[in-house]
Amino acid sequence: ARVPSGGVDHAYITNALLAELKTSLTPHADKELRSIYFGGGTPSLAKPAHIARIIEHANRLVPLANDAEITLESNPTSAEVGKMAAFKAAGITRYSIGIQTLDDSVLQRMGRLHTGAEGLAAVDRAKALFSGRVSCDMMFGFEGQTLSGWRQDLETVLDHADSHLSLYQLTVEPGTPLFRDLNAQRVMLPEDDAQAQMYEAAVELCGARGFRHYEVSNYAKSPGAQSVHNMGYWQGRQWIGIGPSAHSRFTDPASGQRLRTVRIPDIRRWAQNCMERGHGTGKTEAIDGAEAKQEAVVFGLRMLDGLSNEQFMRGNNSSVASGREPLAEYLCMERVRQHVRDGYLRSTGDLDHLAPTERGLQVIDSILLDIIP
Amino acid sequence: MPTVHASSRTTTSAQARRRRGYATRTAADGSDTAIDITEYTPDRIRNFSIIAHIDHGKSTLADRLLETTGVITKSGKNKQVLDKLKVERERGITVKAQSVSMFWEHAGRKYLLNLIDTPGHVDFSYEVSRSLAACQGTILLVDAAQGIQAQTVANFFLAFGEGLEVIPMLNKIDLPTAEPDRAALQIESAFEIDATNIVHISAKTGLGIDKVLPSVIERIPRPVGSIDAPFKALLFDTWYDKYVGVVCLMAVKDGAVRRGDRIVSTHSGARYEVMEVGIMHPEQKPATQLQVGQVGYIVCNMKSVAEAHVGDTFHKDKFPVDPLPGFVPAKSMVFAGVFPLDAGEFDKLNESIQKLTLNDSSVGVHKETSAALGQGWRLGFLGTLHMDVFRQRLEEEYDANILVTAPTVPYRVQYTDGTIKYIQTPADFPTAVEIQEKVEAVMEPFVSATLIFPEQYLGAMLELCTMHRADIHTHTYLDELRVMLKCRLPTAEIVSDFYDRLKSKSQGFGSFDYEDDGYSESDLVKMEVLLNGEPVDALAAVMHRSSVVNVGRAIAKRLKDVIRRQLFDINIQTAANGKVVARETVKQLRKNVTAKCYGGDVSRKMKLLNKQKEGKKRMKKIGRVELPQEAFLSVMTSSQE
Repeated sequence: ARVPSGGVDHAYITNALLAELKTSLTPHADKELRSIYFGGGTPSLAKPAHIARIIEHANRLVPLANDAEITLESNPTSAEVGKMAAFKAAGITRYSIGIQTLDDSVLQRMGRLHTGAEGLAAVDRAKALFSGRVSCDMMFGFEGQTLSGWRQDLETVLDHADSHLSLYQLTVEPGTPLFRDLNAQRVMLPEDDAQAQMYEAAVELCGARGFRHYEVSNYAKSPGAQSVHNMGYWQGRQWIGIGPSAHSRFTDPASGQRLRTVRIPDIRRWAQNCMERGHGTGKTEAIDGAEAKQEAVVFGLRMLDGLSNEQFMRGNNSSVASGREPLAEYLCMERVRQHVRDGYLRSTGDLDHLAPTERGLQVIDSILLDIIP
Repeated sequence: MPTVHASSRTTTSAQARRRRGYATRTAADGSDTAIDITEYTPDRIRNFSIIAHIDHGKSTLADRLLETTGVITKSGKNKQVLDKLKVERERGITVKAQSVSMFWEHAGRKYLLNLIDTPGHVDFSYEVSRSLAACQGTILLVDAAQGIQAQTVANFFLAFGEGLEVIPMLNKIDLPTAEPDRAALQIESAFEIDATNIVHISAKTGLGIDKVLPSVIERIPRPVGSIDAPFKALLFDTWYDKYVGVVCLMAVKDGAVRRGDRIVSTHSGARYEVMEVGIMHPEQKPATQLQVGQVGYIVCNMKSVAEAHVGDTFHKDKFPVDPLPGFVPAKSMVFAGVFPLDAGEFDKLNESIQKLTLNDSSVGVHKETSAALGQGWRLGFLGTLHMDVFRQRLEEEYDANILVTAPTVPYRVQYTDGTIKYIQTPADFPTAVEIQEKVEAVMEPFVSATLIFPEQYLGAMLELCTMHRADIHTHTYLDELRVMLKCRLPTAEIVSDFYDRLKSKSQGFGSFDYEDDGYSESDLVKMEVLLNGEPVDALAAVMHRSSVVNVGRAIAKRLKDVIRRQLFDINIQTAANGKVVARETVKQLRKNVTAKCYGGDVSRKMKLLNKQKEGKKRMKKIGRVELPQEAFLSVMTSSQE
């Protein structure tokens, strides 16, 4: 679910969310809810009471699994840290903190309202409440950052970290101030190879502390610490997005067709639609077989565990055979074999299983372009 | 172009047309069919053209004349009606010639005036000369502000060579920068024509336009020929119409031709049956017959424009005639390799090229195979403009994904055993070893060129010529401000950016024209490009020894810029005579992965992937290396600066 930031009537928004939740989950009442993720904007600005209502409502529509993972994203500002306990009481089981960097001047430039020290303090506090279920977000590759600076910051965060880390290379999105600055050359980011080095440093340092690099940007101390919700994206499960601009992918129970939808981006229009017709869906599209196969491979190979042929052939609908050809027939095998020889991919059998090596993961976008027909 | 067959018109419009000057034959039911222009005997006909340098106002003047005679109406949409193809409109030039017949009354008599358009660009001087051969006179249009330019000179001499009456006229008289007296002086000194009564006009504003047609009628001689002599006509242009096949534009020199006649091409001997004759007014309008002195179109059952040779003489079957002088088959000056990006598209591309050349028989087509690029063609063009226009049309009108290799010229190699080979593909050029052992002489084609520019650029122009291996013959002053420079230089030097450099070094004021001038020996060397040790034949280039180092370095650098990083190091080397001249490396890609992939990112990621897949399809794989289109184009345009 995506909870909008302050400035808008919380109660009104919550009611809209609840309405959309009801409409979207009701058709799936026969299933089990494995995870809920409060993300999108800054969900920790929401009132814990509203969070509680949403969780409760969801459970009534589609029963939560016993070990369901319910994550909340937050910033380590003092205000939000103060609400941690209340969020736990409301039902949150996993806490994600956006530390981003320990460099205060960078945080300020990014418009963040916390300091590096506050970031670390928040992690410590969260660990007390959500032991073993705290994740930290960090960024690298921003202006002026050096490799040694990054290594140092990461080591410090690792000293405080709990069981999960998400480390992202700074991505420049069109339409943002950073994008404009970059285009006008007011800002210079570290060169490609410098960023490659930072990525490699992340893998190395996390590995040394017992964090397994299980997905491109994600590291976990144990399989149980991996993000259940995010694995859902990469394993092609069914997921429903609630709130303005939220995305969903699920199999329509009525038609059996896999669909993707996006909710209306504008918050007021979205809310109005929710109140008037029960949901704020903007676009609905069917995902055809070819796309679904592409996705299975593209996301499967973002994980170090890779993709099994059985998983691929089963497709998204676990109860019915999808009628797909085996991986070995779908992919350009000559290219796959070449990449295996070069050490970018590893495979077992005649493609029972395909996974990237650590080296391959680093250039996986090139590999994917090459092996997907 | 849709063919206009017999059309139904109302009686009122028939009256209107009669008023405009020609008789119509009315059918029994009151509808009109073919027009009857037999009353227009040679004394009532004038065939003329307008020759000028680019942008001196030829097309605007043509439009004005068409408006004056009522062929087109005064509306914005008629802007430069004679320019048909979209590509030409984009470049502001006329590629194909056209002609329009106009009716006009002067001093109480009705006249049929045929304005025969000529292609305006240097590449088409043969076409220009044949279009001129259809006329008896020409308006030499000079921009009063710019004065005489290189093509003014070139076109004048073509017209003069055809024995045409030249009527100079000064255009753009309305411009504040116009200097009519100086321009008139230039004309007198350059062409030795009396410019005292030169007509001043502004085609844009209409000033002086009323003097144009009277000048044409009074000063241009009537066509010579006899209605009683056997039919003889000059073919000066053709195009392909998808409904009726080839349409030929002809100037009838003797006799007459009508539907049902059988005519014969002197050049090929092929016989055709005439289906329809008529005049361009401005579109095809059928006529009962075309006769001596008249200019119009003939539709006969000709299937392909390759059968039509500009400059050919046609006569009636069983009544042969002496062919008209000046016929020369089209000669290619610039060659480029064209390959489908995807080998599987070869057949489709083959079809597209056939269709495009249907309308352009001056493109030479030879199949060629490249070890790197597979099956393709070496196409010959009249010049770089011709080539660019063709490529653009292939890509836009036929949606072709093609690789075009750098323009080249045909080299002539004389072997010690006496054989002579013309080499059009750089990869076929003999290596240094072969030259030493088996070759007598290596020669390249040359052109003789004329440059005209303001005298303050003399230094820059001399430098430009020297840089391009020109042998400078003369430079003379056209007037106190303008210099005309004549030189001889290798054709290879002008096939890429010579013209652009000339323009930029003379701030746009310089102009340039050239003509084929045979072959001469030259110290030429083959440059090879190696990727990871393997020579890529499609990237080979031939150049003069003096350029080897500079060009070799430039090519290596350019390739390094355009080749994207791949999963392994790519070593680029340029070599000549077995020696490496330059090296660059494109380092292995170290990281290429999207950081975030959740929820909404998923769709965006897939879209991006598919876009990249499309991009990848447009790459050419040579061994393991993926090369973008630019790699092939960049090889020769890497300059000699």
